[in-house]
Amino acid sequence: MAKLQVRGARKAYGATIALKRGDMVLESGEVHVLIGSNGSGKSTLCKIISGSVRPDAGEVIIDGRPVTVTGPQMARELGIGIFYQELSLAAHRTVAENISLARLPANAGVFVDHAAVGATAERYMAPFADVLGDGFAADTPVVKLRADQRQLVEIMKTLATEAPVLIFDEPTSALDSAQVERFFDVLRKLRGEGRSIIFISHRMDEIFAIGDRVTIMRDGETVTTMALSDADHDMVIRAMVGGQEALIATGNADDEGTRRTGKTILSVQNISGPGFSEISFSVAAGEIVGFGGLHGQGQSSVLRALFGASRRQAGTITLNGTPYTATAPRAAIRQGMAYISGDRGHDGVITDRPILENVTPVHFLRNRLTFAFPGRLRAAVLPALQALRTKYATLSHPISSLSGGNQQKIVIARWLTDPPQVLLLDDPTKGIDLATKTELFALIRELAEKGMAIILYSSEDSELLTNADRILVFSGGAIARELTGADRTRYNLYHAAYEAA
Amino acid sequence: MSAAEPGIGRTAALSAERLVRQPIIVALALIAALLVAGELLSPGFASGEQILRLLIVAALLGIVAAGQNLVILGGREGIDLSVGGVVSLSAIVAGNIMNGADAGIVPAILACVAIGGLFGLINGVGVTLLRIPPLVMTLGMLGVLQGLLVVVRQGIPSGNAAPALSGFVTQPFLLGLPGIIWLWIGIGAFMAFLLRRTVFGHRIYAIGSNEHAAAMAGVPVRLMRVSLFILSGMFAAIAGICLLGYSGQSFANVGEQYMLPSIIAVVFGGTPLSGGKGGYTGTMAGAVLLVILQSILTTINIDEAGRQIVFGATLLVLMLFYGRGRAMRG
Repeated sequence: MAKLQVRGARKAYGATIALKRGDMVLESGEVHVLIGSNGSGKSTLCKIISGSVRPDAGEVIIDGRPVTVTGPQMARELGIGIFYQELSLAAHRTVAENISLARLPANAGVFVDHAAVGATAERYMAPFADVLGDGFAADTPVVKLRADQRQLVEIMKTLATEAPVLIFDEPTSALDSAQVERFFDVLRKLRGEGRSIIFISHRMDEIFAIGDRVTIMRDGETVTTMALSDADHDMVIRAMVGGQEALIATGNADDEGTRRTGKTILSVQNISGPGFSEISFSVAAGEIVGFGGLHGQGQSSVLRALFGASRRQAGTITLNGTPYTATAPRAAIRQGMAYISGDRGHDGVITDRPILENVTPVHFLRNRLTFAFPGRLRAAVLPALQALRTKYATLSHPISSLSGGNQQKIVIARWLTDPPQVLLLDDPTKGIDLATKTELFALIRELAEKGMAIILYSSEDSELLTNADRILVFSGGAIARELTGADRTRYNLYHAAYEAA
Repeated sequence: MSAAEPGIGRTAALSAERLVRQPIIVALALIAALLVAGELLSPGFASGEQILRLLIVAALLGIVAAGQNLVILGGREGIDLSVGGVVSLSAIVAGNIMNGADAGIVPAILACVAIGGLFGLINGVGVTLLRIPPLVMTLGMLGVLQGLLVVVRQGIPSGNAAPALSGFVTQPFLLGLPGIIWLWIGIGAFMAFLLRRTVFGHRIYAIGSNEHAAAMAGVPVRLMRVSLFILSGMFAAIAGICLLGYSGQSFANVGEQYMLPSIIAVVFGGTPLSGGKGGYTGTMAGAVLLVILQSILTTINIDEAGRQIVFGATLLVLMLFYGRGRAMRG
């Protein structure tokens, strides 16, 4: 009998379906790898198992008994421990306290038993003793640790739950190879004890080194489960790509895949910064350059650095042949840059304010205005709003009265009222319905036709494949490969992203 | 974030509900109610002469609250607790420069506004560049100002208001209203124009509503915030000069009584302490309301301590009512 089984799990967030049909069978004493491209639904599946997301349909079966996991507390009681991708440590508490955080040993049920906390910490630190690095001790506050050391604490914290089912969502992203090896030793030992482990990683080598079986997900559905001993890298990547190999990118290219573009607008030479290093590329007028690869490989960081929203340390950038040195969004906007983020709530929407006030800030800056006369502003913003086919009652209505897709259109109109030279798109369609997405990309291609230089980062590979003229595949903060012309296939994109990881 | 589509029925219901929840409507209704209550408690309370006196006092508070309002609108826990100290210092400096002579009025105004602006600048720099929370920064500044007042008062005698200044504040000037009322109306018009018809005003709301998004759209957030504190210091300084004209002489810590009421007036007028929405018109109503409340409390013989308790409790009750909108936004 399987230790844990998920059948037909489904989850939608509004119009976006995060998981169409998630199935998986986890046996006792196995390391089960879960793999799939960005947005394939694997994280949602894990969240359903660990109780932080309630499925719309489907069932979770533990030891042959259907259960309803109502929350993290319940998951813990059912014997499920999860490692979170977003680290969940208490920064100002010690390593030992963090390891025991889920169930602090207490005297008489009230006072924290410090001796027991220390002993627990030592027990879980022991297997990693020779790879902990400098300054790592049970009484060190987590805030003083390096990223890899924090990740080790997170791993130990998960192990300390002693749960029969352990879920590790990208636990090795910050670890070096020696640390990964120790971690795998621990996993092998646990497997020997009959525990069940779900392991998510994008590093193909790791997957084959530790995994027994692999479940592959694609577009919100479980595609297949296979034994890794019978598989090779190519088989796994092909299963992830599926039958969509035939889908050749179209974009702004003719049949031979050659681009019709103008002179170089933006040229980037060897720039480095937080999360990326030695990045070089150029964008021509009328060109849509795609940033691809797995999540968080430096794509957003590069875009933000170009926009002056984060620091960059080295390298040179030229815009229209002249040096570009903007260190703040203000300067970047003045020089003709625009940055549209998919994180509307954080980067875009000015909550509670009328639609008009949400469109005008960039217009103010570009035209160095002092006064804000509503009549003139309305006339100025209308063309962009109409081009985007935005639906709204009046411009005085609060932006919060609109749907998510229309809110994003308002934010985009902000950047197109005075057309920029370079349009930086940072996953611009996140959480937007399909119809709006289609409209937006039609508009983006239209802008490119008119000579705008566009960089598009998308977490949805199909958006890149159908819209970008060239795709730069990012891995670990560097450009791993450039896909042009007929090379822009899903297979090549995955291959570059996963093999490089 | 709500994604509701506005429907016709819903819009109508919404506007009716909005009307009731408009803080300015509530404030005006309360003003009327308090005037009636005051008249019942003490006949003559709502006489024209008495109301005029209340309006003068309200104008003093309202001018301080204008700066407070700007700082609060700018969000990120924006608040200026140092306004009372600036009012006091301004009253003393103005009194000493004028020393009872009309010729000193213009130099006094220039000096006081500069001093107020300077303290505002220091507040603004502390909040933006040094990242000190506004509450702590301006409270610390209030302490500095109070110490400074002690030093200043030991060195120089408390000065007198110039006759023209006293006349401006207390004597009828136009249509039976003293100059200070017209000044306040002017400030009200200035604030309305600033907030609704200038880029600066729109940017205040933008940084108060979503500072990060504003910065990404090219709003100079730090410069804005520093400007708001400077304006707050300047408004407090102007109020200090007017206060000198009202009382004729400057007393120790005359301005202290303005700290809490200036905040209450803003919140009463519909600007939440979290910033990003509201305006000055409501604040003006809030100032009038508070002054009437204060007057009623005096009429029924509640002493200063009692009044402080009522004011503090009023702010807490207001938080309870107006704080909810913010909580719902999460």
